[in-house]
Amino acid sequence: MINFVGRGRDAIDYIVDEGSFEENLCGGETLDPEWAESAVVGSATLSGETVTVIANDAGIANPRFRMVYAGLMGLEEGFKMAHAVYLTIKADKDKPLAEKRPIILVVDTPGMSPGKVEEIIGIYKSTGAYQLASAEARRAGHPIVAMVVGRAISGGFLCHGLQADRILALSDEFGTMVHVMPLVGIARVTKINIMLLEELSEGNPVFASGVSHFYNLGGVDEIIESVADMRPRVKAQIDEIRRLKAAGEYDKVGPWSRLMSGIKRGGRKTSEKVIELMEEEFNLALSSWLGGEDDGFTP
Amino acid sequence: MDDRWNLLQNQPFSRLNARERAYAICNPESFTELLGPRLKLTSPHLPPMGQTPQFDDGVVVGLGTVGKAPAVVVSQESKFLGGGVGEAHGTKMVMAIRLALRGQEILESRSKSSESRGRVAVVISFDTGGVRLQEANAGLLAHSEVMDAFQAARGKVPIIGIVGGTVGCFGGMGFVAASVDVLIMSDVGRLGLTGPGVIEEVVGTEEFDAANRALVWRTTGGRHRFITRDADFIVEDTMKAFREKVAEVASWPIEKIASKRIIGTGEMVLEQMRLVDLAANDRIQDSWDLWRQFGNEDIEYLWDSNVSEFEANARRWPRGRVGDND
Repeated sequence: MINFVGRGRDAIDYIVDEGSFEENLCGGETLDPEWAESAVVGSATLSGETVTVIANDAGIANPRFRMVYAGLMGLEEGFKMAHAVYLTIKADKDKPLAEKRPIILVVDTPGMSPGKVEEIIGIYKSTGAYQLASAEARRAGHPIVAMVVGRAISGGFLCHGLQADRILALSDEFGTMVHVMPLVGIARVTKINIMLLEELSEGNPVFASGVSHFYNLGGVDEIIESVADMRPRVKAQIDEIRRLKAAGEYDKVGPWSRLMSGIKRGGRKTSEKVIELMEEEFNLALSSWLGGEDDGFTP
Repeated sequence: MDDRWNLLQNQPFSRLNARERAYAICNPESFTELLGPRLKLTSPHLPPMGQTPQFDDGVVVGLGTVGKAPAVVVSQESKFLGGGVGEAHGTKMVMAIRLALRGQEILESRSKSSESRGRVAVVISFDTGGVRLQEANAGLLAHSEVMDAFQAARGKVPIIGIVGGTVGCFGGMGFVAASVDVLIMSDVGRLGLTGPGVIEEVVGTEEFDAANRALVWRTTGGRHRFITRDADFIVEDTMKAFREKVAEVASWPIEKIASKRIIGTGEMVLEQMRLVDLAANDRIQDSWDLWRQFGNEDIEYLWDSNVSEFEANARRWPRGRVGDND
């Protein structure tokens, strides 16, 4: 069976129109091909329409930062991906909603680079910048679809995937991995017996690895069972996202919509209670907080 | 007068618990907790793992007044599972920001002039290692929901971050703190993505010696973050110092608050890439190498001086934008 783990770049051709990907061409600008090469960004077409593609190539290291290897994303990688998103927003700034070009994220990353230089400069800004850029593009009307083809792990998944309108994932048989930490790691850090964790994970999606657990929590919108289905399903999701955004239904796409799916699928019952109770308490406290309609807010 | 409030003001911020911080950051007697311990909403995931849950799930959320602004306050408790973000904890944070936006919409719908209406602010006191591993998947998703809510709040509701607790702010919450409008830190506060212990474990002691406290603080501590402009302000470790700074910032026009952001636009990405360039090819080995590049000569003095001397004398990353060198 085909496996895309570590091969994010190869997966691109299975998702967009074959042979259409032009690396480093972003919203009409051409990026330096030697800049953070494992962060693969560029343009392609899908059913003939121009899309921005952002992927991660685990086979390439960054000669300028030694902690960027094997797919780990570093300072430059996150900022480059953010830059690609901002170029996309800029290119379509004056276009109507229906013509905002889609952004396709091809997800295979084991996480962010853990290094001293990364901490000194502040790698959290690189990951944060990419997420804010993606959230802005999504809210500006660009359909963003993440296709998880390999590893979608912890901070790597947060910045490259979890800000999408919709997240699709190849099923577990393709070697797909979605998690924060494998169970052995959780057991070691929390000092909870691994056997107990394994047993609990069968009935509770809240901590264990795997695409189906994330599906039950709403974190994955759709599981894709075959490679051939990726292209038509990504396209179908783009159409659906456009329809929802045209209707102004921005809470039916993106992270909040996944929280709602998680509640529907029974994986986030505690969140459901929190939302309900906080709404209630907020409404009760509102008039003493902001003052009544007539007197306005008086500190 | 509110004696409890007065007593708290002179306490070290770092020694207070999350509820005391939330209460004392607001004006006296103005804080009302939402979904507080009275409702006993606990994590159902912890007891089967043999962990005792807590009635607030490690985060205090409430409504209050900060200076002249109505505020939604979020305060994380690092003494409960390291401040880790679990399912309820994460959803409380997300809802806090959404409710702040709703409060602002209500104010705007009133007929008063915009000046007399005031503007809602969000104040977040971070004290967390990021995702709570016992509820890792839900915690991870909550981070993405918070980031989305931040983006929704842009230009409407300012978000003011505080890092001054004993754990600091690490893991995924590191980039959440980087995404606020204005960040206030103390000397105690630390901010990063990968904690020192994890770097040491994954890469090796030669890369990072987590037992070297001075190294830890000069890599992720408030003074270094102030020099690189990731922190806008550095204050003394007292409740009062944080409260006064938060109240001052909350009174600014929203445009001024937004100008303090370090990420969130295409221009800021280009600007940050210039900072990244300084570190490429192992050009820096230590945060102090960077301090020197910004023109700080007597680094030992800066490191040992008190906060106000440090603030007055530290030369910060020039950032390269007009009006940012104040």
